Amino acid sequence: MLRLNKGGIVKKILIFTAIAGIFLSASISIARTKLVALPERADVVIRLDNPNYTLVEEERILTLQKGTNQVDFSWTGVSIDPDSIRVKIISHPEEVKVISVSYPPEENSLVWQIYSPQPYEEKIRISYLLKNIDRLITYKAIANKDETNAILQSFLILRNFSGEDFSMAKILLDYGETFEKSVSHEETKQMLLFTKQNIQIEKKLTFDARKLPWDPEKVTGNVGIPVTYEIKNEKKSGLGDFALWGGKARVFQDDGKGSTIFLGEDNASFTPPGEKCSLYIGDSRDIVVTQRKIKEIKINIRKNADNQIILYDTDEIIKAEIENFKDAPVMLTLIQNIPGEWDMEETSHQYEKEDANTLKFNVNLKPKAKETVTFHYHRRNVR
Amino acid sequence: MKKILIFLGIIFIAGSTYAKIDLVSLPERDKVQLTIYNSADLTLVRESRTLTMKKGENKLQFSWANTLIDPTSLELFPLKETDKISVTDLFFPPRITGLGVWNIVSQISGKVPCEINYFTSGISWQAYYLATLSQDEKTMKLEGYVKVTNRSGEDYENAQVRLIVGKINLLDRIADLARRYPPYGRPFEPKPLPPSEKRGEVFAAKAMMMEAVDRAVIKEIEKEGLSEYFLYTIEGTETIPDGWTKRLLSFSQDNIPVINFYKYDESRFGKNVVRFISFKNAKSHLLGKEPLPDGLIKVFKIIDKNERLSYIGQDNTKYIPIDQVVELNLGPVQDVKIEPKLMEVKTLNYQFNAPGRNISGWDEEQTYTVKVSNYRPIPAKIEITRKFPHQYWTIENKGDYGVFEKLEKDTVRYTMELAPNTTKQFSYKVTLRWGDRQE
Repeated sequence: MLRLNKGGIVKKILIFTAIAGIFLSASISIARTKLVALPERADVVIRLDNPNYTLVEEERILTLQKGTNQVDFSWTGVSIDPDSIRVKIISHPEEVKVISVSYPPEENSLVWQIYSPQPYEEKIRISYLLKNIDRLITYKAIANKDETNAILQSFLILRNFSGEDFSMAKILLDYGETFEKSVSHEETKQMLLFTKQNIQIEKKLTFDARKLPWDPEKVTGNVGIPVTYEIKNEKKSGLGDFALWGGKARVFQDDGKGSTIFLGEDNASFTPPGEKCSLYIGDSRDIVVTQRKIKEIKINIRKNADNQIILYDTDEIIKAEIENFKDAPVMLTLIQNIPGEWDMEETSHQYEKEDANTLKFNVNLKPKAKETVTFHYHRRNVR
Repeated sequence: MKKILIFLGIIFIAGSTYAKIDLVSLPERDKVQLTIYNSADLTLVRESRTLTMKKGENKLQFSWANTLIDPTSLELFPLKETDKISVTDLFFPPRITGLGVWNIVSQISGKVPCEINYFTSGISWQAYYLATLSQDEKTMKLEGYVKVTNRSGEDYENAQVRLIVGKINLLDRIADLARRYPPYGRPFEPKPLPPSEKRGEVFAAKAMMMEAVDRAVIKEIEKEGLSEYFLYTIEGTETIPDGWTKRLLSFSQDNIPVINFYKYDESRFGKNVVRFISFKNAKSHLLGKEPLPDGLIKVFKIIDKNERLSYIGQDNTKYIPIDQVVELNLGPVQDVKIEPKLMEVKTLNYQFNAPGRNISGWDEEQTYTVKVSNYRPIPAKIEITRKFPHQYWTIENKGDYGVFEKLEKDTVRYTMELAPNTTKQFSYKVTLRWGDRQE
């Protein structure tokens, strides 16, 4: 079923009303033949607050006769979850009642029986979940030259592949602007949700010894130290009122000469108010970490009757040499892992325990300086 | 060939959906800036165009068929009258590839300078180096080049060219985004990408444009650090037609002191002696003005007074930060020899589980002599790395062994200088403790 209206819009969702009684046959099925009216859509809302399902709400004026009316709602070429379809009587909710809902066999349609005590021009609201229409959220940040704050923009991208054209629909998320736009089938639309100035950013460099190679000399190519920007969803940054949806974030930097450079991109995670969003933008190759285990021996060895070692401790020393080739100070976070049970014997730098086996050293590097982090520990009761 | 087209039109049809627009003007680029990355196939294009706006609703159509533009990166903003012009949305009409339309509401009519930004793939740059050693191999001339290649499908005329040295994080390849239709994909169903377009047109006519470039003056390349990256800005503008490559001199420096350097490390190079040339990217070595981007380096040597050359070898250098030491691996050589020889093996200090039962521990003494020969007429620095099977060992060095260093729990290193045409010998005895002797 395909109808073109004056504006060239493809309408696949159709609604017809008919007076029941005349068409109700004696058989169990409902005959739906003659059309009485094709009511136009009045107000359409495309609600995108659920990332997995898109809810469409449309209002229509039905010309109801006195008695039982049959309203036929059908869709071809679009995918509607039939169980999600709801109808709400708006003009005369006390008088006009939906008596029954029937689904004809093997058709994408349903029939409402609506009773009206008098002839009414009745406004109803139909809502349903429509498939193949959704949204993406994207972000663009432009950091200042010092990388202390940024301008953050967020975009809503509506992808309509539902089979349906929408004319001046209200498109909305759970925050940001409501857009009133027409969207055709197979159209993608990008809309600016918000722009926030002066978003505080925190730049972090992290060497994670669990993931990165220890000795850069043995690696072809450079071992980059991952650089992340942290943005907090907080009032201070003009945010903090709502959870930010996740999406692709592209980060740029002002070059101080009226242009920008692209720093990198990452997927922003869903960020509730008060939480931080961490974006891995790229690698620093001006910080070089060379980590080596300089001692690892078994101590306190205990044996069974067959002289097999059943329990022991270890004595281990790890040395990480960090070189900062930048002419600016840098704070580097070193993540280290010690498995199992352990005691720290001696460390050159203070550390924080992230969890039972993860140590975090925050090392302040002076410009063009070398710093060595050494830690000496015993693993206990190794079997 | 111009493939990016821009049309500006006013909508006459009151229809609420996309309607075919009437074309009013095709504005030319006023300025274009290319920021080209070398760690990823990505170029940030910023172009200025003067658009003629009508009061009210305007539609600006941007098409990029047969180029490699990422439509998800498209951005338009006015450079003047920013409070009177609002870009309300960007849409990609149904069933049309390579086309986007901006809806713009303007409170004024007339010419407005605007900027259009986007990412394209297909433009790349690469650093490469030519090194020339002096006859005595004490110094080197180093020339750094950048090579910019445009295979984007679009000609860029009189573009300001900027190159980024740095490693950015990218989630998707720009070339894939450029080929994807619809631009943001489809909801709920990932669609396979169409095969890449066959492109290989030759634009002979463009040779004229290339020839016309004034080569009388060698262009300067300005360098500065931004975030964790380095930005090279090439002086003036460049015209890079689609399909062409341009080579530019980034720097040239003579008399850089170098160290001739030979490594022996069986765990990395087998039984070969590998030649290295080492220098520092620092002021002390007449360098250090900028990090050196990764690239291929070809090393030559001057062999006579007429400056005839001999080719020594090549290496792919890593990215070299300012003040870091560079080691160029020039491959295995025959004229420096390092021969470790196991001369004696002895076991001792046996331990047993109980009288009359199995061996539970022992020591093993291995005595090696290492002969180091420099058959070259120039002095050589030698670095010998030895690895043991485990960390339970003690060592005794004898003879002319240079500087000894414990590198890792199971690795030691000897470094020494060797005069031209000389041979040195040293020995070490390593005692390895096995089994219960490790306790």
